[in-house]
Amino acid sequence: MIRFENVNKKYGNSVILDDLNFNIEAGEFVVLIGPSGCGKTTTLKSINRLIKPDQGKIFVNGQEISQVNPVKLRRKIGYVIQQIGLFPNMTIEQNIGVVPKRLKYDKKEIQKITRDLMEMVDMSYEEYAHKYPSELSGGQQQRIGVLRALAASPPIVLMDEPFGALDPMTRATLQKEIANLHKKLKKTIVFVTHDMNEALDLADKIVFMEHGKIVQMATPEEMLANPASPLIRDFMRKSALAADTLNLTAADFLSANVISVQKKKSIRECTDLMARHHIDSLVIKNEDQTYAGVVTIKDIKKHGKSSGVIGEIEPYQNITSDILENAKDSFDKLYSSGDNYVVVLNNDQTIAGIITKTSMATAMADTLWGDMQ
Amino acid sequence: MDASIVLEHLYLVAMTVIFSVIVGLPIGVLAYLKPSVRKIVLWSVELLQTIPALALLGLIIIALGPGKMTVITGLVLYSLLPIVHNTFVGLESVDSGIKEAGKGMGLTQLDRLISVEIPLAFPMIFTGIRIATVTTVGVAVFATSVGGGGLGKVIYQGIRTQNMNLIVSGTVSLMIMAVLFDVLMIWINRRLAKGTRNQAF
Repeated sequence: MIRFENVNKKYGNSVILDDLNFNIEAGEFVVLIGPSGCGKTTTLKSINRLIKPDQGKIFVNGQEISQVNPVKLRRKIGYVIQQIGLFPNMTIEQNIGVVPKRLKYDKKEIQKITRDLMEMVDMSYEEYAHKYPSELSGGQQQRIGVLRALAASPPIVLMDEPFGALDPMTRATLQKEIANLHKKLKKTIVFVTHDMNEALDLADKIVFMEHGKIVQMATPEEMLANPASPLIRDFMRKSALAADTLNLTAADFLSANVISVQKKKSIRECTDLMARHHIDSLVIKNEDQTYAGVVTIKDIKKHGKSSGVIGEIEPYQNITSDILENAKDSFDKLYSSGDNYVVVLNNDQTIAGIITKTSMATAMADTLWGDMQ
Repeated sequence: MDASIVLEHLYLVAMTVIFSVIVGLPIGVLAYLKPSVRKIVLWSVELLQTIPALALLGLIIIALGPGKMTVITGLVLYSLLPIVHNTFVGLESVDSGIKEAGKGMGLTQLDRLISVEIPLAFPMIFTGIRIATVTTVGVAVFATSVGGGGLGKVIYQGIRTQNMNLIVSGTVSLMIMAVLFDVLMIWINRRLAKGTRNQAF
């Protein structure tokens, strides 16, 4: 379907593509990956002639593309980019219909195509077709970006880091959708990314590039089993780390040295404890060690008496979070509640620890840059 | 002073703006499309602007003789700068992702200009037209010195006969005209910007 023969490209003295040779079969999902500047985007853009190689030949569907009118060539190749690039002056339907309209499809047909495509990604035609891109979220916009590329049913679709600018949740959804679309429509897809997880999830074949050369072209399984270079291994390791961040729970972020007291402790002892540890609140436990609430120094002052036990003061119901809860949800709570920390509870309602803004920052730095403690 | 003089002035302004757009828009597009001529084009229109209006009219009178044609030609040359400049800047500042998507999907250069880039740049271009219009209202006063008529005639007459009323009424009419154009065109531009839903402006 797509064949590169001895393709070379230089910018000044720096070699971007170094005698590139490869072949992509019809219906394959090929992911180009590598460090920045490795030539993956240049490779992609030379397929639809946005970039012209200095030497060598590229064949698309058996035709040497330098012999084909670039406008005609591009209309048969879908193109999706990271910046999305929907036309803000056109409605969603008009955006999707851009290429079909130029290929002289009639209006009814374009409407049907739009409706069918939107259905495939669960977007209601009635609700969205007549909106403008700025009225959609980033994820929805890129869905439309993908549909626009598919509208004239091109056999080949090029995607240049299409999900790179989206948040991880939206990205995961769109990855699933593109995998489904590929299964359903059997397009040849060439996809550029720097995210190894994305490559492993989506690709039939991964092309790993470095310095304008292909280091390894293999199926994800093969690449996982036998990475051809230390750099590839490094890429896989890093992406494995990044994948973990999605699955982090409150347990990964809590600080366990939280000062908690039983209800029967005297108020005087409690104030002493707070003074010694330079804290302004205590976590209160019931007799059975389960969480009862939080008492702050203000509450004690308001109570007025320093005799008696801490249990006499009605504890404040601080926000809590389950130890297995997704870390992001715990952070959202922490930020939206205005409380100073989240009390993390074990399954049996005993206290596991607290998450403060500081412990959160430390833990984040930890996952990003390795051991900080 | 009667309404016909005001109308005459309006006629000069309208013709000037129409011809400035007809000439300026393509020049702006050219500057955008052809980086090789960009500098010289932008520099030339800027240079035109630095020639005093009276001197410019004087130069054209030698070529074309006195009359309305001379006035309009001079005023057009004079109001090219904001239109050319804003056309160029407006097109240049259309988001590069939008341009690349258009090109990558197989839209021709002309198609991209007409369907995407000019509509998106239009609020900016229209601002250029507005500046040109308001400037022309004032500069057109010089028209009278080369036989073009308009409100300049009233003011000059007032100066010659030391008639304060005449000077004031001419000047105030000009001011009202300029402000009205300005307000009206700002309003139109807002409506247009809303229509194109361009986030860039």
